[in-house]
Amino acid sequence: MQLHTLKKVTIITEDSLKQSLLKKIIELGATGYTCRQCEGYGSRGARSDQFTRNVEVELICSEVVANDILTYVSHHYFDNYACIAWISDVQVVRGDRYTSTKKS
Amino acid sequence: MLKSLAENLLTPLPMCFALGIFSKMIHGGIKIPKELYYSISIYLLMSIGIIGGHELAHEYQAHGVSTIWKPALVTLFLGCLTPITAYGALRYLGRLNIADAAGIAAHYGSTSAVTFIVADGFCNDKGYKPDGYLPTLVTILECPGIAVALVIGAVAMGMQKAAEAAAKSKEGQIDGAPEAEGGNLWEALHEVITGQSLMLMVGLLVIGFISTFAISDAKFHPYEEFFYNKNMIFRGALCIFLLEMGLVTGERLGDLLKVGPFLIAFGIIMPLFHGFLGAFLGYMAGMNLGGCTVLAAIVSSASYIAAPPAVRLTLPEANPTLSMTASLAITFPFNIALGIPIYFWMAQTIGAK
Repeated sequence: MQLHTLKKVTIITEDSLKQSLLKKIIELGATGYTCRQCEGYGSRGARSDQFTRNVEVELICSEVVANDILTYVSHHYFDNYACIAWISDVQVVRGDRYTSTKKS
Repeated sequence: MLKSLAENLLTPLPMCFALGIFSKMIHGGIKIPKELYYSISIYLLMSIGIIGGHELAHEYQAHGVSTIWKPALVTLFLGCLTPITAYGALRYLGRLNIADAAGIAAHYGSTSAVTFIVADGFCNDKGYKPDGYLPTLVTILECPGIAVALVIGAVAMGMQKAAEAAAKSKEGQIDGAPEAEGGNLWEALHEVITGQSLMLMVGLLVIGFISTFAISDAKFHPYEEFFYNKNMIFRGALCIFLLEMGLVTGERLGDLLKVGPFLIAFGIIMPLFHGFLGAFLGYMAGMNLGGCTVLAAIVSSASYIAAPPAVRLTLPEANPTLSMTASLAITFPFNIALGIPIYFWMAQTIGAK
């Protein structure tokens, strides 16, 4: 079985940013994403009730797109919002599935 | 008035709220599932909408628009005025920065549906049924305050940035920045207008209004039973909701120490001032005693559902702890426990009947 090495981007941030973040992710060249509600604790205190929900967004993409997304997130969210984001390596079977857009 | 304050405090709704706070303080085990909280808020919002639409239709059938247009205009005016007074007080008396002042002003410009429900129940229990068009006024009040405060914030921040830029470089190139703010602002307002609370209330208001004309009152009765049922299901659901609000507020009590005495005073005095304006202008617009009281309560109340995400998007520099603590841990409990009887007393003193 042929495996392809790609990047997985994980972003955990405030739920109120969800819509604009997802829109931006697609604009930056991702082909899809998965998101879920979550809660946690960090430098901005507990984020666990219905007024301070967090959202976790995960997606698999090429290295270029992953770097673009992380750059965007760090420029726009890190200063004023509860937000952490990271990139990790993943092995996937259908490599072209995640890189088929113009920016790959 | 003191008797009326005590009477209000010893009803189940404020006591459920207090139980929630108490449980959090002693690390008690009360937990309301989030899904139940969401379900009840959907039920309450739909109820305000459909019963409000039904009563609005009755009002319209009886008097046309003659009794409604003045209170509606007054409400719209108050919706635009309260964020300005709040911003002024926060910025110039409290010396808060622009983002925080505008962010909190957006919360106080908007309204709290639960405060409306509690005030409405209070007046009904007293035997002064508020005018039937009040739920409509709640929907009018929800949005403009947020919009006005966010525009104040965006403009003031733009001016401040322009001044800073001009001071730094002689060219002072600042074009482009205000446009970016505008895009964000529109996105935030879109979120408020199409958000769940306003969509449900306005949607059900229209449904209740139209169906009152289309079907007989007897056919409408089952809906009224489910959503209001002489207050039975409705009040019970509200108890659960307020218990959860108490839990959330209890969680935030520690933040009271952080926000400082000014904001605590603001969270009590500002509602009293806005409430007085509401009662007075409501009286001038010809509303009854119950109506003036409820209008005062909704004008004075601060939003904690519609406003926070809009403020987060438009004024990211604003500290959400300040606005949420003020509206949720100070103004909301104040209104539920003491504010509503005080507004009732104000309306009575002004002369509303």
